Amino acid sequence: MLLFLNSCTKEVQIDIPGYEELLVVDGSIETGRKPLVVLSNTADVYSPTNIQAYLNSFVEGAVITVSDGSTTINLEQVYTDELSPADAKEVSQILGYPEVLIANLHMAVYYPVSSSMVGEVGKTYSLTIQLNGKTYTSSTAILQPTPLLNTYWKPDAGYTDRGFTWATLADPANSYDAYKWEVKRLNGASSDEFFMKPFNPYVDDDFFDGLTFDFAYENPMTCNGDYLPEDMRCYFALGDTAVIKFSKVDRYVYEYMEKKYTQIYSAGNPFSTPTNIPTNIVGGAVGVWAGFSPAYDTVICVE
Amino acid sequence: MKYSIVILLLTVLNLGLSAQEKFTLSGYITDARNGESLIGAKVVVPSISQGAVTNNYGFFSLTIPQGVYQVEFRATGLDTKKVEINLDKDVRFDIELGTEMQELQEVEVSAKKGENVNSTKIGQIELDIDQIKTLPAFMGEVDVVKTIQLLPGVSSVSEGGQGFYVRGGGPDQNLVLLDEAVVYNAAHLFGFFSVFNADAVKSVNLIKGGMPANFGGRMSSVLEVNMNEGNNKKFKIKGGIGAISSRLTVEGPLKKDRGSFIISGRRTYIDIIMKAAIPDTSPFAGSGYMFYDLNLKANYKLTEKDKIFVSGYYGKDIFSFGSREDDFSVKMPWGNGIGAVRWNHLFNSKLFMNTSATFSDYQFSFGSEQDQFRFELLSGIRDIGGKVDFSYFPNTRHKVKWGANYTYHTFIPTSVSAESDSVEFNTGVAQKLYSHESAIYLMDEFDLNEKLRINAGLRYSTYMHVGPFIRYIKGDISKPDTSITYNRGDVIKFYQGLEPRISMRYVLSKSSSLKAGYSYNYQYVHLTSLSAVSLPTDIWYPSTDIAKPQKGWQASIGYFKNLMDDKFETSVEVYYKGMNNLIEFKEGAIPGDNVNDNTDNLLVFGKGWSYGAEFFFKKSYGKLTGWVGYTWSNTERVFEELNNGNPFPAKYDRRHDLSIVAGYKLNARWTFGASFIYATGNTLTLPASWYVQDQNLLFNYGPRNSTRMAPYHRLDLSATLYDKPYKKRKNDEGEKVLVKKRFRSNWSFSIYNVYNRANPFFLYVDNDGDFLQGDFKITVKQVTLFPVIPSVTWNFEF
Repeated sequence: MLLFLNSCTKEVQIDIPGYEELLVVDGSIETGRKPLVVLSNTADVYSPTNIQAYLNSFVEGAVITVSDGSTTINLEQVYTDELSPADAKEVSQILGYPEVLIANLHMAVYYPVSSSMVGEVGKTYSLTIQLNGKTYTSSTAILQPTPLLNTYWKPDAGYTDRGFTWATLADPANSYDAYKWEVKRLNGASSDEFFMKPFNPYVDDDFFDGLTFDFAYENPMTCNGDYLPEDMRCYFALGDTAVIKFSKVDRYVYEYMEKKYTQIYSAGNPFSTPTNIPTNIVGGAVGVWAGFSPAYDTVICVE
Repeated sequence: MKYSIVILLLTVLNLGLSAQEKFTLSGYITDARNGESLIGAKVVVPSISQGAVTNNYGFFSLTIPQGVYQVEFRATGLDTKKVEINLDKDVRFDIELGTEMQELQEVEVSAKKGENVNSTKIGQIELDIDQIKTLPAFMGEVDVVKTIQLLPGVSSVSEGGQGFYVRGGGPDQNLVLLDEAVVYNAAHLFGFFSVFNADAVKSVNLIKGGMPANFGGRMSSVLEVNMNEGNNKKFKIKGGIGAISSRLTVEGPLKKDRGSFIISGRRTYIDIIMKAAIPDTSPFAGSGYMFYDLNLKANYKLTEKDKIFVSGYYGKDIFSFGSREDDFSVKMPWGNGIGAVRWNHLFNSKLFMNTSATFSDYQFSFGSEQDQFRFELLSGIRDIGGKVDFSYFPNTRHKVKWGANYTYHTFIPTSVSAESDSVEFNTGVAQKLYSHESAIYLMDEFDLNEKLRINAGLRYSTYMHVGPFIRYIKGDISKPDTSITYNRGDVIKFYQGLEPRISMRYVLSKSSSLKAGYSYNYQYVHLTSLSAVSLPTDIWYPSTDIAKPQKGWQASIGYFKNLMDDKFETSVEVYYKGMNNLIEFKEGAIPGDNVNDNTDNLLVFGKGWSYGAEFFFKKSYGKLTGWVGYTWSNTERVFEELNNGNPFPAKYDRRHDLSIVAGYKLNARWTFGASFIYATGNTLTLPASWYVQDQNLLFNYGPRNSTRMAPYHRLDLSATLYDKPYKKRKNDEGEKVLVKKRFRSNWSFSIYNVYNRANPFFLYVDNDGDFLQGDFKITVKQVTLFPVIPSVTWNFEF
């Protein structure tokens, strides 16, 4: 450990062969919301990384359709700074970017402005993308949600005014189940604008198929808060109100997300193996087409 | 037909068909200073140019015509003894070389003189432990494995690492033996230190090519480490106090000249330093690291024909980390336990037998706790085995060996348990795999004529994977997962194979020879590694119905030349090695729980090849000793399911590898050492491109091992200052005389990485800033582990 603390790091220029430009699909649909797809291209590690390069990486000109088996709709290419206030609000919630921000970005997204299709539980949604003579396809399901049996707040050991949110899950037996945990606080004027994911938001029931047990999650909104003293971070404070969004995802979405988080947390770690993230997009793209089936709970942080 | 075979054999072995009657001179050669048996000591009869060499137990046997001979007994560093022996019957002659008072000589007399050219050994190097002790040592810890890594054809896994690659083979392909028992993980402190405590080590022998038939079970090399037997003349204590660890050795006679023991222990103080550095109030209180090891050995001569040896090793590493703030703790202990009981028996002057019972155990565990959650992972391997080896010396032209061995393996690749408060999660049934491995062999080293000597052998090995075992068969969308349950003793899979081995030497002149070797090997165990560096978390996995045994062959040819009356030894060897059924984890696979799965379902299989040329120039004796080794090599792998089926370089593929090692004895008090290494950088896989999904920056990796790090080079220096060996004392007549001191000590100074080269340990792609703020940046960063590190160790003995 001492040796590692003493190790030193410096920037180097080294040849990394094998760059190949690939289409990146970032698409989702969840219960009660319209589908949204963002297309971009992979960029060379040594390519420019300024904001213009970022905006230029978005891919325009694709023809995208989403079908629930009986209805097929087109996702229209729109720019975020040209959306109606209602659509801007919806797109901002799906992307997790503030409305003010996307209104100032000329960012191309694919969104069914003129359709009313929203995600429904029990349906499977297929995605087709046509671009430059190539076709990319995928499908994802919105599964029956598994609501949490109970949610509560408990002060952490040694404190009375701060703690984690807790939940009791009764995992359905003999079926594959995978979940996503998100949370936001409803604290009047200082409420969070979006749901945020904790450090490790995805889990499947490989370990706990059919079991009922309690588990805890931290407050992701304050974990990176340099403005807070260290012993206040990652806690929900006494008196907070937290809304938990506990979504079900299918196996393929989970496999993507699991490897994605493995990569995020192991990048740069010499003890890990380089992990390319599997995709559920057929046709030679990277990324994911993900269906989410949320159930909501509200926790008031009092004992 | 049968008779003709017998006659042929008798003719070949020259058994009693000679006209002149022959007798056998046999015995043990030991060191007079401590009674240790001398390995590789020579018995020479100059008048008829015949000789023999002692085996690992100090035994020799020489069958020559009746007569009276001047016989010379030679051992490196000790005075040669000449004895007249009348060989009119079989003679048993045990001899001690040197005197109890003799200091180790500056190595002017070498028993191994000329062996470079004369022996059939190709790709074999014996290291002198006393020389190793004078070379620069990382943090003052004398390390035989690091010295091995300075030899041509051998490279280290990573900076400071213990894992080593021999001629393009993986680290699991090295058979590491401590007193004939297998060592599965020869590393302490995540690989920075060796488990071999140099104070307890007597000899080190590396076979990197032309493996003789008595060794097997690994494809690339044999690293044979023999422990000291202990002083059977008097009690001695020696030890050392170093920068990060201290050691103490006690040895002495069980009964003078009949039996002895040695106990050697070592412990680090990193945990104590950290405990002092991290106050109890710190959020990281409880974090620390330590290792200790203990070597024990005893031997006893039961009769003139029977000797028994008991040896043991136990070592443990414990890493712990605690974060009070997160109520989080990790404890990671791992260690080896090794035991061997050996019995030497002399049936007669020509037939020597060694029987061993060995035990080897390696356990690794990882436990973590956070709040009410607990997680534990166990992995391990246990071997119980026995072997018997016979050495038969029918005449000076033949040395015949045969034997058999058997090992019962128990593997626990992973066993996981997890619980939250009172709820125990289902992590599946711990995988335990049982197997029987056995082999028989026969080999003969014989002189076809004065110039051509051949060592030919054949090994037949078998392997059986037996129940209990549950095989999980992964289904897909068209068929569900299924399983097959095997009961205790059920044979799940049987493998067998013939392993021919041959090496030969052809004498070109008195000082030069040509050698060639071929060996075919089966390996029934595999090491699976997820990381780019060798770690205790690497999992040993046996052959199963899915994981087939590794198979490999190696051919080498070399030219050996000694210069200036054997003062300089040189050699050039070229080799080609082919390897099949190599294993790797599938892309993105992470072994976790055992729920309806077997670890080998996560593996993929491929093949590899390696070829290269090794140049070696060595000066064995004189004030200046050392060597220059250079290797040019190419090592590649191909796996159908990795890298789109394209060949890729092994992570330790190195085009150039140069090492220069020198020791200089200035005078009786000062000895200096230096080593310099230059090696082509290791390969690794880095992201070739990036993309963003749901506000997360993600990477797409380029072809496997397609990036090469900067070259590695480093210079280390050392100096050893010995105390004066004599002190002045007045004798009975009142005269001042020099008396040998009982308490001896020396200071050993080392500087690692003298010119502070920032060598790459690994590279990673880093990112910083925010896209939308416009300050986002992606960079490639290099991590360097060790800067210049001076160290000092004080060693003593009395």
